[in-house]
Amino acid sequence: MASQPLTSSMQPTDVYGGDEVSAIILDPGFSSVRAGFAGEDTPKSFYTSYYGVAGDRTIFSDEDIHNPLIKDLEIRNPMSKDGVVEDWDAATQLWEYAITSRLTKFKQGDPRTNGLNDKDADVEMDAAEDEEKPLEEHPLLMTETAWNSSKNREKSIEIAMENWGCPAFWLARNSVMAAFGAGRATALVIDLGASTASVMCIHDGLILKKSVQKSNVAGNWVSSQVRSLFNNSEPKVELIPHYMISAKTPVDAGAPAQATFQNFDHKISDSFRALEEERVISEFKESVVQVYNGPNRLNSTHPSGIPNIENVKAMPGRVFEFPDGSNQMWGADRMSVVEGMWDERAALPVAGEPALTKAQTIPEMVKASISGVDMDLRAALLQNVVVTGGTTLLQGFTDRLHNEMVNMYPGARIKIQAAGLTTERRFGSWVGGSILGSLGTFHQMWISRKEYEEFGASVVDKRCK
Amino acid sequence: MTSHDVRDMLDLPQEGTPRPTKKQKLNGPRPVLKGLAREVQNLGGDNPIAIVPEVTVFKKRRFATRKPAAKWDARPFKNSARQDGLILRHWRRKDDKPAAPTVDGEGEEKKVEEIEDSTFAKYNVQVNIPDYTDEEYNLRLQNQEWTKHETDYLFSLCREYDLRFPVIWDRYEYEPPIPQPSEGDAAENAGALIVPPKTRTVEDMKARYYSVAATVMALRKPPIKMNSAEFNLHEVMLNFNPAQETARKKFAETAFHRTKDEAAEEQSLLLELKRIMARADKLGEERRELYARLEAPPSNGNIAPYTTSQGLAQLVSQLASADRSKKHRKSLMGGETMSPATGPNTSTQQPYDRRESSVRESISGPSGLNNKKGSSQNPTERRQLTEEEERIYGVSRHDRIGTSGPAFRQEKILKPLQSKSAVQQQKITNVLNELGIPYSASTRLIMPTAEVGEGFDALLHSINNLLDARKLVDKLQGEIATAKAVRAERERVERERGEGGAEVKREEGVGIAESRKRSASVMSAASDRSGKRLKK
Repeated sequence: MASQPLTSSMQPTDVYGGDEVSAIILDPGFSSVRAGFAGEDTPKSFYTSYYGVAGDRTIFSDEDIHNPLIKDLEIRNPMSKDGVVEDWDAATQLWEYAITSRLTKFKQGDPRTNGLNDKDADVEMDAAEDEEKPLEEHPLLMTETAWNSSKNREKSIEIAMENWGCPAFWLARNSVMAAFGAGRATALVIDLGASTASVMCIHDGLILKKSVQKSNVAGNWVSSQVRSLFNNSEPKVELIPHYMISAKTPVDAGAPAQATFQNFDHKISDSFRALEEERVISEFKESVVQVYNGPNRLNSTHPSGIPNIENVKAMPGRVFEFPDGSNQMWGADRMSVVEGMWDERAALPVAGEPALTKAQTIPEMVKASISGVDMDLRAALLQNVVVTGGTTLLQGFTDRLHNEMVNMYPGARIKIQAAGLTTERRFGSWVGGSILGSLGTFHQMWISRKEYEEFGASVVDKRCK
Repeated sequence: MTSHDVRDMLDLPQEGTPRPTKKQKLNGPRPVLKGLAREVQNLGGDNPIAIVPEVTVFKKRRFATRKPAAKWDARPFKNSARQDGLILRHWRRKDDKPAAPTVDGEGEEKKVEEIEDSTFAKYNVQVNIPDYTDEEYNLRLQNQEWTKHETDYLFSLCREYDLRFPVIWDRYEYEPPIPQPSEGDAAENAGALIVPPKTRTVEDMKARYYSVAATVMALRKPPIKMNSAEFNLHEVMLNFNPAQETARKKFAETAFHRTKDEAAEEQSLLLELKRIMARADKLGEERRELYARLEAPPSNGNIAPYTTSQGLAQLVSQLASADRSKKHRKSLMGGETMSPATGPNTSTQQPYDRRESSVRESISGPSGLNNKKGSSQNPTERRQLTEEEERIYGVSRHDRIGTSGPAFRQEKILKPLQSKSAVQQQKITNVLNELGIPYSASTRLIMPTAEVGEGFDALLHSINNLLDARKLVDKLQGEIATAKAVRAERERVERERGEGGAEVKREEGVGIAESRKRSASVMSAASDRSGKRLKK
């Protein structure tokens, strides 16, 4: 065993194609912000997009915002339901936090003394930033959604150049990056994130705009379905997040919970409670919810004459224990809760939201997307279906997708490319950005500071197509 | 006594196949163990126990190598593919040798010089998209369907997306320029005139781009001067057929939207077709073999070798091995070599080295068979010229060669000239010189390609015509001159008659008649001659 691997000391060969310039990849999404160095396989910095506001204090990161003891803590999210930035000030701060806390030289000290969390030190931090900008040595590659407005795009280059002092910048589409992450330049990308599900075709690293389809059938929609399931089930499931429980005793399945609740001497905001409920729901989604994977659809009848739902009911269920100790077996419901993704008639009604339309379901989006591109590309696209985004980790998702697509295009060869590793699926677009940012041939693409100063912020629209 | 003879005696098949190599030892030499270790090893008997050596050290300690850690530095570099001289830094191994101590100012200068170019700059390649000037556009590139503005837009997109037509089509958002209104009502008129932009299909765009690109290409460099790659590109672009492309896509689309049943049916039909084809192939092969057997020439060699039992046994083994090799080679060779006569000769020559001559004498057919095989194989080896190459090289095909046999093109060109008389030749040469083509029977054409030859032939033909016509003109002019002289004579006589007596008049009349007759005969002779020449 050689003490020093030879490869690391050698120059990168042309075939390998990598030439790292310590670029930083920032991939903001509705539920989380991913940031890290190009060339690495996972983002070093991963933070929830939700941030807390207590009085005039802003609190970032999972470590701090789940604290019910902070008075008047309001939880907010800088992103809109479409996955584009709404609140630029908060987004800038959040991203800066994600970058400087783990990646660049503003080392985080003890949270009590580093000044990020208390008001007085904030001023000092600002002063420090004036002298030294956080990204002066690092080119920044940011991702955006395909439907980002050009005003937003200009805003992001402004922040990168003016606030952070990047020497170079690039704005890439997250679906394209996801395709790159799966090693494809031409692909049909199916991306199910937290707020939006999108399907689009990518040809040679360029989005085909006529094929862009999006809907809200994503993680948050599944959560709303789960809530609806809890509300309508017999007996009604009371969703009580962890922070409210002070003690619990184990109970039998189906029995009412026996727990003592925590008392707080201040009012807990609704947004905080919603965030904490969401955590329980994600746990439920991860461990119980399952996609019915055929044959056919859940509500149709099997060729043998037995409705599919009956077959599912015969399968063993799954037990889920809520924070208050109550637990229950989930049978066919665990599948019907996500059936709306595929069949709009199977969606559970959610109060205050319009019913799902057919065009919002995933098979319809795929169909619309495919029919929006040139005939000659379709076969290649169907052979390179890239599935990415955290919501696609629902059990049985890819199998069902494959079934649906084979039914839709029986003559075509369909190959679904879904990363096996959880991290690669969740951070698909970040990984693609990491690959792109570390390529030697990408150096000529960056929008440099000089170009920004010469052409202004509109250069981003001209260059990043 | 060789193994060959032994095999012969024992009726064993010959060494058709190479002997299997010696069995490789499955287990290497066993390590010599001592004491308890050996006892443990022996427990396993023939199957040695796999003992994985225990690795106690995860990583060698660094200081064991006694080498200092490699030094790296973030070296700045530029990329010459960029216009703005962006300098980025990447980590590079520091040179082992410490730089010679220099004065600070000098060191700074050196650093600036040292900035290296990225090794990836060379990958910055661009698609070559032709450019046209306004003048060229107006002269050659006008099109009813496309305005210049829209063509410009299409070309800018082509440049932007490197000719990726699906993307170009996807991003195509052409807006016709809004005419600048000078007056209020003019603007209204213009508004009424604006036609909504047409929705262009990929084929429309491709057709427009290819036609413009091909025209511009031909303008820049006439097709004759292009090299073969350029010529091919030009041809391909010229021959783009949007209607055919559209039809193909339509067909592909219907195939794409097949239902499951249709797909399954097509699959089964394809399978059926495959089966039928395989059966037909098999039948054909069997038939061919049968014919080959029937055509096998009767052996007229002596049968002396087969009179002994050894000889007979050899024959049997020969036939057996021939049969076997035939089975093996069936798929590799054509039917022609399948005849038993040539079988052993071609396929099992090696093992028979010793008795090769007798074998050949006895069972090989006439040597014609072998030759036939050779000749049938050769044409497939020759490179096939494509149609286009044939045109370039001037290859022409004839059903058979004419009576004179093959001849050089040069001779063919010279022939019509050499067959002429010296005077004619001189005349033709004069005409050629007049045209600026220096040529005589002794010099050659500068580049006698087929096309040039044909052109020259045509030219000679027209020169001949010209010369004939000129001769005729000369002749006719002579006749006209005579006729004019005759007429002048007659008029003079008439004038004299008016003055003189009737007798004179009669005599003159006879004279006129005579002269008229003579001139008529001259004319007919001339026309005869000219008619002859024309026929010729």
